[in-house]
Order: sequence, then C-alpha cells, then structure tokens
Amino acid sequence: MKWMEVLQVAGVTLVAAVTLVVLYSLGVRLTAIAADTRQKSTVMARSLAYACFAACAVAVLYGIYLIVPYFGK
Amino acid sequence: MVALVIALALFFDFTNGFHDTANAMATPIATGAIKPKTAVALAAVLNLVGAFLSTEVAKTISGGLIREGTDGIHITPDIIFAGLMGAVLWNMITWLKGLPSSSSHALFGGLIGAAIVGIGIHSINFDTVLIKVILPALFAPLIAGGVAYICTRLAYALTSRHDPETGDKLTQKRGGFRTGQIFTSSLVALAHGTNDAQKTMGIITLVLISAGTQSPGSGPQLWVITACALAIAVGTYAGGWRIIRTMGSGLTEVKPAQGFSAETSTATAILASSHLGFALSTTQVASGSVIGSGLGRKGTSVRWGTAGKIALGWLFTLPASAIVGALTALLVNIGVVGVVIAAVVGTAAVAYMFIASRKSQVGHHNAVEVDEAGRAVRFRKKKKPGKNNRSEGVQR
Repeated sequence: MKWMEVLQVAGVTLVAAVTLVVLYSLGVRLTAIAADTRQKSTVMARSLAYACFAACAVAVLYGIYLIVPYFGK
Repeated sequence: MVALVIALALFFDFTNGFHDTANAMATPIATGAIKPKTAVALAAVLNLVGAFLSTEVAKTISGGLIREGTDGIHITPDIIFAGLMGAVLWNMITWLKGLPSSSSHALFGGLIGAAIVGIGIHSINFDTVLIKVILPALFAPLIAGGVAYICTRLAYALTSRHDPETGDKLTQKRGGFRTGQIFTSSLVALAHGTNDAQKTMGIITLVLISAGTQSPGSGPQLWVITACALAIAVGTYAGGWRIIRTMGSGLTEVKPAQGFSAETSTATAILASSHLGFALSTTQVASGSVIGSGLGRKGTSVRWGTAGKIALGWLFTLPASAIVGALTALLVNIGVVGVVIAAVVGTAAVAYMFIASRKSQVGHHNAVEVDEAGRAVRFRKKKKPGKNNRSEGVQR
C-alpha cells in the first residue's frame, strides 16, 4: 500500500516534469533554429516554438486545475 | 494559553516562510533570471495565493498530524506550545547556519518530543513515525533528484545543436530557460503556499478544537487562513538570504537549463505528493532536485561536502527539535510560571539569534559569514544549559 503510493508519486512526478521540460526544451530549440540566419523558414520554426511554449503553459494550468479542490467539486 | 499558542504558531509560520524562500527562489536568483528583491516579493505573493488556493492539507493535519505522532491521544494546547517552541528554535538555528532543513520535520520533532514528556513514551506510535516521516524523508529527495537528473539530461540533449558538416556548435539559445525559470520558480512558491502554510493552519485549528472553541472535524476558519497566509508571505518577503546562498551556489553551480529542470521537478513532486496525501518536505525535495540537476549536466561538480552537511542537518532536525520540545514541555508542566519562563527564554533565544545574524552580516563575504554563524551557534548552545539550570531552579 505504502510502496504503491511512493511509486505513484514518483511516476506522476516523472511524467509531469518530463512533459514540461521536453515541451519547453523543444521550444527553446525551435527559437534557436528560428534565430539562425541561414535558415529560410524562420516563421515556421518560430510559430512552432510559440506553440511549444503555449502547450507548456497549458500543461501547467491543467496541473493547477487538478490540484485546486475548488474546481474538482 | 490559546492566544500564546496561536502567536507562536504564526511566528513558526513566519520562520517557515523565510526558511523556505530558498526552495523556490535560490536557483532563479543564482542564474540571474530574477533580481533577488523581485524574486522574494514574487514568492511572497504566490505563497499568499497558494495558502488560499487549497485548505485540504490543513484539514487533514488538524485531524491527522497529531495522531501521526501521538496515536490519537488527546493533545492539549500546552503540548502544542512546547512542540512549536522546539520547531521555532530549530528553524532559527538552521537559518543562522544557512542550512536548508525541513520546517515540517522540525514541527514533527517538536511535537513528538513534547508528547513524550507531556504524555509519555507510549503516546508515540513509532511505526507511524517511520512510515509517515522517516520514509518520505528518504524518498522525497531521491525521487526529486532522480527526476531532476533525467530532466536536465533531456533539456541539454534536446537543445544541443551541432552543424552536421563542420561539427561546430550552433546557437543554442539556452538563455531561453531563464524566462521559463520565472514560471517554474513561481510554481514552486505556489506549491509551498498550498503546502506549508497549511501546516500552521492545521495546528491553530487543532488548538482551537482542543480548547473547545471550535467543533471537532471542522476546517480552518477564515481568519486563521488569512493570518497564516499573511505570516508566511511576510516571512517569505523577509527572505532567508543565508539559505538562498547555500541552495543557489553552495551545492552546485546552476545554469538556467538546470534551474528550470530542478524547479519543474520540485514543483511537480510537491504538488503530486501533497495531492496524493503524501507528507513530503518542501526543503528536502528542493535540495534533492538541485543536486540531481547538478549531476545531470556534464562538467558540473556537486559539492558533496555541503550536501553532506545538509544531510547531517536533516538527521539532527527531528531529535534536536524533539529535545527542545521536550524541555519546553517540562517547563510547561510546572504551571503558569513555567509557561512564562518558556516564553521569555524562547523569545530571548530568538532575539539573540537575530542579533547574532546581524553581527555576522557585517563581514558579508560568504566563507567568513558561514564561519561566524557557526561560531555564533556554538555560542548559543552554551547558553542552553543555562536555560535548564534556570528551569530546575524554579522546580526547587
């Protein structure tokens, strides 16, 4: 019972943190690509980067939504 | 007595605030993502908001925390007073030394010590203590550290760019993580508010219930929530610069990507565990994350000496605050005089530590400051027997 809780916390933490970090890192990478002068389609990369940041923000907000009991009931 | 306990509980909340500012704000300050003053103010506001967001933890504490330590035995305001005294004093000592120790453990320790003296050793259910306090203390930093390690590796792997032909490094824009840090550190501050402010709310509610002014099983009243939220916010704004220094640069050098990963891990670990009803220490999670992120980046060395010192501090947190709690419980058992003496000695000790901290701030350089703080603490410990003598003198 107790070990299940430990695993659960570990699992949730891992999944949530990795999701956020991967999304944000992709965003950072895409901004870097967009900043390359040789690249032609900077608009594409830049908008993708913003999409990543937005997805990251949505994930955070969803997390808070899950935590606050006011929304849960 | 009830008023005294509430005042002390609010002061504990205050120390908790400035003790734990470091958890949220040490890494962004270290990487220069946010200016120190702004960071502290931001953390204060978010702690305030977080304290209002959810009072679930407070409800479970006012019904469950004491049962954890003392197995459902009727607890009196006296014992809570003694326990809080232990927690507050230990928080002050560790702050003086710049050690990020767990405020929750100080609280548990103080209450356990007070309960042993006030009620008896049989009042402690050691199995429950092991499961609810010791095991999470082992796993919290491990989980957070592991996740932070993985996240740091991922963040660097995903953002590393090399020219396929020449193998030269391309622009990586890792500075972008600095902006992200503002948000992740805010999230940690918010998580701290939803978590640690609740502990004090739970304690005050418990006192009110045990004093008979509130019906058992009810949640914290609005004025309690407001007072606790304000106390922790003010404490956070006061800022525990000593601990921020330890967390921000003492453990490992923090780069924006590492800071981002560490904070994300900290925030998710705290939020996930508190949501699943798992008692974790914010401080231990944050320290674990910082170390994990240090291991995750190539070429970063973790200062294991400092890490060891912190771990040693964790080991001592429970017994040390338990001893202070027990001593205070002894005093309180004498009666009103004992309570007055305990209050006066406690206030004097806190005031003394404030003065000691002022003295060592004059030097201002890191190494010097740590040394002087250490000397100051040793000096204070010498005062402790004096406190005992005085209490014995009263007994006679």
